[in-house]
Amino acid sequence: MPTYELALMLRAMPKTELKTSLKRISHAIFDRGGIIRSIENLGFRAMPYKTSAHGLVHREANYFVIKMDTGTKAVADLREEYSRDVDVIRQRIFKSQEAFDKTCTLEEELLPPAYRKEVQKMIDVGKTQVNRFKYKFKYNSGLDYYPFQR
Amino acid sequence: MALLKTLVSRYILPTTYRATAIRYSSTDPKLAESDDSPVEMENPYKKEVRQCILCKLNITPDYKNHRLLSQFQSPYTGRIYGRHITGLCKAKQDLVESEIRKAQNCAYMPYYYKDKSFLKDPKLFDPENPIRSHRF
Ligand SMILES: [Zn+2]
Repeated sequence: MPTYELALMLRAMPKTELKTSLKRISHAIFDRGGIIRSIENLGFRAMPYKTSAHGLVHREANYFVIKMDTGTKAVADLREEYSRDVDVIRQRIFKSQEAFDKTCTLEEELLPPAYRKEVQKMIDVGKTQVNRFKYKFKYNSGLDYYPFQR
Repeated sequence: MALLKTLVSRYILPTTYRATAIRYSSTDPKLAESDDSPVEMENPYKKEVRQCILCKLNITPDYKNHRLLSQFQSPYTGRIYGRHITGLCKAKQDLVESEIRKAQNCAYMPYYYKDKSFLKDPKLFDPENPIRSHRF
């Protein structure tokens, strides 16, 4: 089961209701055989843009991030269930980020173009290609001399 | 007499000098090596390998950290600054862009402006003086 992150925005409501709706949301995960790794509360704050959900316009939201492990097939099901939930304004599910381990390639990228590997590759490809747009004089044109400067 | 002197100076003296020179070099090989021979060392003028700011501080951009991501956004239009301005390596720039898209989609971050509480954050780069020149 891969780890997913569920970014949730719940509508403004008192704490007790928030608790019950969070319980409902997490039970939806448990019912599909998933587990919850953590629930983060990012606080109640103004949204950067207004959002209409279930016939209401929301300008503030309770932000939550739930880290969970579920089957890949359960994700679409969960998303559908939360879309029917009246308390959920907005929800996005992302795959949890893997550790980023790449060495910095800035030094190679700052080299002059002729020394960059990708440019060298492009030049090599260009050498194998024929320029179709360049006019080439055909010697069977009927003239018995070459009309251009050599 | 004078002719003899010149002959002596021409043919005999150089040979004696040569002999002394050979003797010196043959007797003191150690001394010649020890004082002024080249030393094996790394190039002291070699420049430090440049790294982008996120790689140097070992930061992986994340969509939940929208305060960091908003520093790569124009305060006027909300657009993401390009690699020629931010000075990030390709991988990190791609990651920053994708994470900003995610954050905007999750309503952590506005699309068309920068959050006004982050406007006084320290500048990581100067959009007026890009690393690579451009037409705009
Ligand atoms: Zn880098």
